[in-house]
Amino acid sequence: MLALKMRRLPATLLWIAVAALGAAGFAVLALSRGESISAAWILCAGVASYVIAYRFYARFLALKVFALDDRRATPAERLGNDRDFVPTNKWVLYGHHFSAIAGAGPLIGPMLAAQFGFLPGTLWLIAGVVAGGAVQDFTILVLSMRRDGKSLGQMAKEEINSVAGVAAMVAILAIMIILLAVLALVVVNALRSSPWGLFIIASTIPIALLMGWWMRSVRPGHVLEASAIGMALLMAALVAGQWVSRDPTWSRWFTWSGTGLSWAIIVYGFLASVLPVWLLLAPRGYLSTFLKIGTVLVLAVAIMLVLPQTKMPAISQFVDGTGPVFAGKVFPFAFITIACGAISGFHALIASGTTPKMLMRESEARLIGYGGMLMESFVGLMAVIAAATLEPGVYFAMNVPAGTLGPTPVTAAHAIAQWGFVLHPGQMEALAKAMGEATLLSRTGGAPSLAVGMASILSGVVHGSGLALWYHFAIMFEALFILTTVDAGTRVGRFMLQELGGYLWKPFGRTSWYPSIVISSALIVAGWGYFLYQGVVDPLGGINSLWPLFGIANQLLAAVALCVGTTILIKMEKQRYAWVTLVPLVWLAAATLTAGWQKVFAADPRLGFLSHARTVVPTMPNAARLIFNDRLDAALALSFMAVVVLVIAASAREWWLVLSNRKAPVVNEAPFVESAYAIGD
Amino acid sequence: MRSAIRLLRGAARVVRQIVGAPDYERYLEHQAQHHPGCSPLTPREYYAEFVTRRFGGAGPTRCC
Repeated sequence: MLALKMRRLPATLLWIAVAALGAAGFAVLALSRGESISAAWILCAGVASYVIAYRFYARFLALKVFALDDRRATPAERLGNDRDFVPTNKWVLYGHHFSAIAGAGPLIGPMLAAQFGFLPGTLWLIAGVVAGGAVQDFTILVLSMRRDGKSLGQMAKEEINSVAGVAAMVAILAIMIILLAVLALVVVNALRSSPWGLFIIASTIPIALLMGWWMRSVRPGHVLEASAIGMALLMAALVAGQWVSRDPTWSRWFTWSGTGLSWAIIVYGFLASVLPVWLLLAPRGYLSTFLKIGTVLVLAVAIMLVLPQTKMPAISQFVDGTGPVFAGKVFPFAFITIACGAISGFHALIASGTTPKMLMRESEARLIGYGGMLMESFVGLMAVIAAATLEPGVYFAMNVPAGTLGPTPVTAAHAIAQWGFVLHPGQMEALAKAMGEATLLSRTGGAPSLAVGMASILSGVVHGSGLALWYHFAIMFEALFILTTVDAGTRVGRFMLQELGGYLWKPFGRTSWYPSIVISSALIVAGWGYFLYQGVVDPLGGINSLWPLFGIANQLLAAVALCVGTTILIKMEKQRYAWVTLVPLVWLAAATLTAGWQKVFAADPRLGFLSHARTVVPTMPNAARLIFNDRLDAALALSFMAVVVLVIAASAREWWLVLSNRKAPVVNEAPFVESAYAIGD
Repeated sequence: MRSAIRLLRGAARVVRQIVGAPDYERYLEHQAQHHPGCSPLTPREYYAEFVTRRFGGAGPTRCC
């Protein structure tokens, strides 16, 4: 007994040390008000929480709640086919899963939410992931793995009822449209009047075409080789962009307005959806995956080397809802603005898509599902750090729309002084010059300010040199993988629409029938393109209405996923552990419904869509369009809320039926088959 | 020298799996092991089939 205790002693001491480190991080975050702290404390609090949650809570989930069993063969082992069902090494699958779930979301959300100060975002990212997001991803991954990799919609249909299944499908399509619109808006705002940035992004198209041709015809299947060539050309374009921005003729060609850029993205999305995948989609997908993993690693190392000091306040006065970046109080809007990184419903699609078909052993779902989401939260923390190290004056000058700041640096400095922050006139011009941009005033959407934060951290490693190059590297990194989401998402939306349309008229459902491809692609592009265009011409900046809608839609999908999880837990007769998914569900439903209600009905015209519509005077230009858009946004938010309520009600009915013994607790798991991988473990 | 090349090949295999790139050699191994009677696809055919499945399928392949 004593010997056993002695053997455990080093481990126990180690965990006490980790806990102490985390507690120290939280203590510094809690006690410092007004003074600058080192980003190291944010990292300490976050990383210590992650490893403790992974070691203890995820282990509890794996052993007690899901009772993962390595003797039970996974779908990859039973159905192995060298196509989608491939048993994959857990670390390889971790990288694969992470690069599928992490995109621009965890970077942009925390940047926008920094108007509340860096503390609310930090705490929500850490608490949300540990108790919510990672639990959701892990749960859906395990449930899908036990069902031969079934999708979320199929599970909702089979385990709750067909109404919930249809609701899930509609929710997925709706979130896709809003997601694509808001991400495209972020790119438009980042590239607007930026010849350097636009030149790099435009040159990715010929680079992708070259890679596509190489991989198909010159050296079939040599993806790594083609990606290396593509990456080298991309870096050349990054450097050449500076020359483009300085040459008067070239820079005029690559200086586009917001509306021009949004049309270009719309046309691009359409082409990417109808052209063969090997030509554009596949090479861009590989290029952005390499860039994403590489940049995340480099940024993590740079933050640890530089350990920047915070300049933003921990909590700003805008928690009261008067924030100029977007309207709304810290509750519920911090929890809607930061979706990806804390809890993201979209992940339920990946966790019930390719990943469950690749798991080699049941127990590895813990690392992939729970651990993968922890890593995304860490990316979110890096965005918080990039935001926190900006001067508050600079942060607001970049992220507040021109309608509030006014057109010139002097009006901007005046507006910012009224909020109690300092911005020297001339400071923004100097910054823009250092970053190689014409102006950085009102560059809303989060991407440009993230790029400034990243540039100052990354250039800090090399003693501050090459700011403009780092800035455009960061813009390239964000824009490239946002555009990858735009083209892949348009294609996915097209397939879903074809499937839905196939119920009405059979030929439409044939995914390779050209007229159906063109019509459904055009409809999807028109859907997100409409919101994108309205966002670009919106006098309030577009982000103010679109980002909350995106957050609500994403959290709605998470609520659907948690409903499915809770239902299955109850049917597995694990009801005493149902709180695992029920607690995040309650929190999410409260935040999402409150936010949705306020976005529709709030009396403040900056917040409520309907009250904003009432402030539009008929003599204003485009008055009819503004009113129509407000009502459309309100209808959208209301229908999102209706879907959440519907799914929760359908699930609650099912829980009651099972718990009151009116219905037998039947789960639709695939049968147990002995695994060959468990031997020797 | 030979072990260095083997290490590099192993690393390339891991990277391919992480980014979801096709691995023709692994495909040949799978065919030889499980479908010894069939004649395998050429590299070009295999790649065409692979990208259509990976990027052309209905399921979402990446998140926001």
